[in-house]
Amino acid sequence: MTNKFQYFSVGLITTWLCIFGLLSFLVMVVMSFLQHDPDHIALWHFTLQNYEDLFNPIFFKIFLKSFYIAFMVTAACLLLGYPFAYIISRLPERLQNTALLLLLLPFWTSSIVRTYAMMSILKTKGLLNTALLSMGIIHEPLQLLFTNTAVGIGLIYNLLPFMILPIYVNLERFDISLIEAAKDLGAKYTTIFRKVIIPLSVPGIVGGCTLVFLPAMTLFFISDLLGGAKALLLGNLIEDQFLMANNWPRGAATSVLLTVIMAIGLLIYWFKSNKRINYEAAI
Amino acid sequence: MKKGLLLILSLFCTVAMADDNVVNVSVWSQELSPNIVQQFQKDTGIKVNYSTFDSNEVLYAKMKASKQTQYDVVEPSSYYITRMVREDMIEKIDISRLSNYKNLNPAFIHPDYDPKGEYSIPWVWGLTGIFVNRKYYPNDKIEKWTDLWSPKYRDSLLLLNDPREVFNVGLMTLGYSPNENNLQHLQQAYQNLVALLPNVRLYNSSSVPSMLVDEDVTIGMAWNADVYKAQLQNPDIEFIYPKDKFVIWVDSLVIPKNAPHRDNAYKFLNYVLQAQIAAMQVKETFYPTANQAALAYLPPELANSQIIFPNADLIKKGYFQTDINDNALDAISRYWQLLKLQ
Repeated sequence: MTNKFQYFSVGLITTWLCIFGLLSFLVMVVMSFLQHDPDHIALWHFTLQNYEDLFNPIFFKIFLKSFYIAFMVTAACLLLGYPFAYIISRLPERLQNTALLLLLLPFWTSSIVRTYAMMSILKTKGLLNTALLSMGIIHEPLQLLFTNTAVGIGLIYNLLPFMILPIYVNLERFDISLIEAAKDLGAKYTTIFRKVIIPLSVPGIVGGCTLVFLPAMTLFFISDLLGGAKALLLGNLIEDQFLMANNWPRGAATSVLLTVIMAIGLLIYWFKSNKRINYEAAI
Repeated sequence: MKKGLLLILSLFCTVAMADDNVVNVSVWSQELSPNIVQQFQKDTGIKVNYSTFDSNEVLYAKMKASKQTQYDVVEPSSYYITRMVREDMIEKIDISRLSNYKNLNPAFIHPDYDPKGEYSIPWVWGLTGIFVNRKYYPNDKIEKWTDLWSPKYRDSLLLLNDPREVFNVGLMTLGYSPNENNLQHLQQAYQNLVALLPNVRLYNSSSVPSMLVDEDVTIGMAWNADVYKAQLQNPDIEFIYPKDKFVIWVDSLVIPKNAPHRDNAYKFLNYVLQAQIAAMQVKETFYPTANQAALAYLPPELANSQIIFPNADLIKKGYFQTDINDNALDAISRYWQLLKLQ
């Protein structure tokens, strides 16, 4: 009975993923090698033109800009998330669970809704400005919304848990006796941290960085809503290719390229964690 | 092989049931009140499968995605009608079957995008102008688009997040037509817009009224209906018809080629052409209607508003937006990306 149920549930999920994940990805891969035709979705004619188009200076600039934003966001998340994960992993177990629950609580709401909430905090007559004005800290409302600062705040807020969780999972399993051994050998706290803790948590760091870096390049609604749509991210580019330019093959090529970059990131992570994917960390 | 691809793609599209007494309608979000749909269902017994879209490009892609159209009535904007006629996607409409056609405002029945008025029934329209919050700029003289280039509006303008709308302004301030196909003129318009960039605070077209009411943005370009809505809650906001011309868009109802329920489509069109029904739509969303007879059913403050129902002389000063060729569209799309990368 249990066995039948297992087969059923695994089979159902596999079928689901095959149809809606794998099959639609394969359609995109095939599409990315087809010729663009303004009157149809695509012409059944093999071409590498769509990938060649991606070596255009404009697309290159968009890639570069997305990379830059994603890099800054990842660095900020790492700086904020690492100490956070370290502290949680050293709490008593009961508190650890509470801390994790609190960390994940905001995910019960969709991130678009949370981004709108962020707008109502940051806007000219928003919560933050009203509070600061009434306390007399500022005399003119701060113009925060529709700036790069707002985009940074929004991205870091949305992605920080994805950095904390893999690092936490890694540190939580950390063998405390290694620290004691280092202490016995006379190492200072900074040395222990630099030479023992950090090197052993590299898989967690790589995992967290992968989970933050890629969404940071594609979460275009955050840059649209909080940044006033002044920047183009890879996500916008893909959307534009499909809808604005009506060029499905090129849009497909762009998203396939992004998937390839993501796959490379995951492969690096796989090798770093001794050829064993840490599924818990990837949640 | 191509058929195989289409088959796979059609798996992702909704398939309308082959029920006879239905009409499949797809319109701009907010441009057809659910109350009208309900009343139509009650009065005629025809079930409406109602869906909405947020850009012409999405509607166009959906219509192109399946060989046999599922829709009976769709509502593209003016410039997409030219394209759909050229690509043989929509049918000529038999006006004699629409007894309420006479309710329409004559200014809208032979527009540039459909010169004989054979393919489209104008439904709602609007125009893009300048808004300014007078609390922040009490005495500024703002009459023309070019006034927005002034350095005193640094980091303050709202531009619509729509490449064609923004390029219309870039072209008109240089004295060109917004329906320009000349690539050199488009390049000049791009350079003109680069000069405007330091003044741009944000691009948005979907939540303009609330931003104006909350004073998140105090000057820029906007659609007249959005400004009217904002002004109801914040009387400091003023709408200006730019003296260096402006663009009028018309969202029209059309019947796709080989629509599966053509008779019901005609019934639906004739129903929404009734003056009271068109008036219902205006009262809910404040978008101007092309239905002249509807004005009699509107409260005077709406019917007499110069913002949403400008007089006929003013309408004549506007350009109707028409389709431009693929090269020009590609150029605009490329320049748009460049603008956002500056």
